[in-house]
Amino acid sequence: MGIMDKKKAIKLSADLAIASARKGTTYWSRAIIAKATAENNDCSRIIVENILGPERAERLEKASKLSAVRYNNRLLRSRKILKKCHNVRRALRKNVPRRVVAANSIAKRMVEKRTQVLKGLVPGGEFMDEVSLIEETLDYLVSLRAQVDVMRCLACATDLVNGKYEGKKKLAIVKRRVCGLLLLFG
Amino acid sequence: MSSRRSRSRQQSGVSRSTNNNITDDQITDLVSKLQQLIPEIRNSRSDKVSASKVLQETCNYIRNLHREVDDLSDRLSELLATTETDSAQAAIIRSLLM
Repeated sequence: MGIMDKKKAIKLSADLAIASARKGTTYWSRAIIAKATAENNDCSRIIVENILGPERAERLEKASKLSAVRYNNRLLRSRKILKKCHNVRRALRKNVPRRVVAANSIAKRMVEKRTQVLKGLVPGGEFMDEVSLIEETLDYLVSLRAQVDVMRCLACATDLVNGKYEGKKKLAIVKRRVCGLLLLFG
Repeated sequence: MSSRRSRSRQQSGVSRSTNNNITDDQITDLVSKLQQLIPEIRNSRSDKVSASKVLQETCNYIRNLHREVDDLSDRLSELLATTETDSAQAAIIRSLLM
């Protein structure tokens, strides 16, 4: 296994680890698992089975494929266009001055643009409506932070074990890092 | 059509009000929760932060976290490559992971 493959394997394991912690209760975790199980190479399969366990891997794979198809993209898009037309017309009918209507629609367009970017960042985000997107983002952010913390602790511990630090400093750092890891897992 | 929408929402497994219309209160509540999670906004707190700014900072934060995960995976893949597989040191790392 080359270093690039190793890096991909580490990333995949880290993502599957935070996804499996959710036990299929969030959309983003199911999306990560669906993507991993859809990949056809042996390496991914081994990682999926090791982290999730073989029976759970199969069960989650089926559930993830179902929920990805649930939302119809085209239906959502046409509904959004209709809603935009209705809102502008409704505001004009209530005699709201045109520049206010324009400012409101510019603000809405900014929010929509940013929402599109967010949908690209959160796994499985393209299929969600606004409210679910924000809820999923909240959960995904917390999990991502935990992922970064664990990986940082692990990297530090590996540095230590490889003899990067010397003497008394080593013992203090080992204690701190191990406590940090235990807190995260416990 | 509205009943179809509410049915699909209940099936999605995330808790939500039974009201078909998304209330503004719901969205502002969620946006304020998001605001508290993001360090840039939380630290330089002004009273009103627009939804678009919160979304923008969220995207930046997620991108930064992704980049950190990428760098850490790089570092870990090099470190694990240099650790010999049978040494006592590798056993320590393995026991941390299992």
